[in-house]
Amino acid sequence: MSAIALRAPRGFISDHPLPWLLPLIAILVVFALYPFFYNIWLSAHEFIPRKRGLDFVGFENWAKLFADPRMWNALWVTLFYTGFCLAVELTLGMAIALLIDSDDTGFGILRGLLTLTLVIPPAITGMMFLLMEDAQFGLIAWLLRDIGLIGPQTAILADSSLALWGVMLADIWQWTPFMVLIFVAGLRAIPSDPYESAMIDGASAWQIFLRITLPMMGKVIAIAVLIRGIDLFRMFDYAYVMTSGGPVTATYTLSLYAWQQTFSFLKWGYGATLILFALVIVLLVANLFVAITKVRW
Amino acid sequence: MLLSPWQRALRMGAAWIVVLAFAFPIFYWLTIAFKPDRDIFSVPPRVFGFAPTVQSFGEVFGVSLGFEHGLEVLPGGGNFYMLPRLWDSIVVALFSTALAILVATLAAYALSRMRFRGQHHFVFWVLSTRMMPPVAVAIPMFFIYKDFGLLDTYSGVILIHALMNMPLAVLLLKSFFDDIPVEIDEAAIIDGASRIRIFRKLVLPMAMGGIAATAVLCFIFSWTEFLFALTLTSTTLKTVPVVSSTFVTSTGTAWGNMAALGAAAMVPAFVFILLVQKNLVRGLTLGSLKQ
Repeated sequence: MSAIALRAPRGFISDHPLPWLLPLIAILVVFALYPFFYNIWLSAHEFIPRKRGLDFVGFENWAKLFADPRMWNALWVTLFYTGFCLAVELTLGMAIALLIDSDDTGFGILRGLLTLTLVIPPAITGMMFLLMEDAQFGLIAWLLRDIGLIGPQTAILADSSLALWGVMLADIWQWTPFMVLIFVAGLRAIPSDPYESAMIDGASAWQIFLRITLPMMGKVIAIAVLIRGIDLFRMFDYAYVMTSGGPVTATYTLSLYAWQQTFSFLKWGYGATLILFALVIVLLVANLFVAITKVRW
Repeated sequence: MLLSPWQRALRMGAAWIVVLAFAFPIFYWLTIAFKPDRDIFSVPPRVFGFAPTVQSFGEVFGVSLGFEHGLEVLPGGGNFYMLPRLWDSIVVALFSTALAILVATLAAYALSRMRFRGQHHFVFWVLSTRMMPPVAVAIPMFFIYKDFGLLDTYSGVILIHALMNMPLAVLLLKSFFDDIPVEIDEAAIIDGASRIRIFRKLVLPMAMGGIAATAVLCFIFSWTEFLFALTLTSTTLKTVPVVSSTFVTSTGTAWGNMAALGAAAMVPAFVFILLVQKNLVRGLTLGSLKQ
């Protein structure tokens, strides 16, 4: 008995986690950490077409960034896009989740159907909405025209006051089901006792939702907001295929602006600076969010 | 909550309306794939009442499926023959998934079973790679790949997709390993089994369902990925999402062909996602919520 007890813990401790983690660490160092430092190095340089090479420019790119009205516009577009889509997807997602969280037959099929939007390549979703929002033969454009929301000549994605809404529509369509599925799972995990006692006490449905459902869904909502918020902030695909950032700068997100600066205008250093700025924002906000909501993995 | 039969029917009706509204754009996209050009560009747009044709599919997958419409050569010299692009997507998704699962399974087992200093920080570091905007990786990677000759190669895209899926795979697999009682490992260690043996003979078989679900999700995320494939490839390979965005030609957009390709890209993903329904929410939340 004692011999076994002595041997067991030693075998347990002598297993070092490093060999198990080494491949992962190697991949993360080469493909995440190295690019991060490469970005920092690149942001202190700029491509000079005449020399076909990089010149050291110090903090010039950072000075340029804070003085660049297009950057502030892109930041605003990104934040507005993130905030608005997040609010709509959360509210709509919760409403639909409450509607389809039922054990009646048939609701399983409904939940299955809702998962379909999640696996469509966003680039193809962008194309779908590009077609449906086309001024001449687009279904959505015709619908909106029929109910008088837009004028007969309006092209949604070519109108600087409408284009961003057109892009957000694609996002909301594709990702509201994401919220629904997470919230349905959250709702199912709530025990039924508090509901029963609340109903005995005569609480209204709205009171039950505010006092029981929402608080008990706290962790679920926090995780959904974190994951979706990160994805919204780095949105690239929809804007790239639907509008390329246009008209003018109406749908330029930080990601798209940085990408185009690097690959379309050969401002390698400035593109790196822009995306580094976005990276700092998202890491700061996400860390703060995790610290406040105490989400754990 | 207790609902009367009348209320239940009402709820069912409302739920169907909402879900069908979400499903409708997919259905509409599929009709585009089967419409002749005349009906795609009809004004006002029509949902029903067209003569379905497989011409778009023929042009996109024609040659090897033996449709009579073969290659239609575009003004630019290209064509809509997309079977090789589908192949590119499959190769990239399969190999990147295999690599991600291989690396992540080892790491997830250690994170689930062993304790070390700074473990919490390590997990958060893995998670934080999921937060990086992909452009922040794509820009430096483009130059690094250029130096190492990895631009426009299968290996390049496979590696970057494996990295992209790494946080998901590690955290999700860890949550599946956490479900397996640690007493099983402890009992085997007392019996004198080595870690590797426990991992291979005990834990791995028990976690197979979770590993399969993780693999399916990795496959789907590689299958749908756009930005890295767009930035890091040019001619050797083009994944389906990337090539879809090139159907806009000088003579107008080939909507029918694009919809046909899109349909072919969606169907396997639909089948896969229905296979992992049970673990979908867990996957979407990187293992932090269980159904």
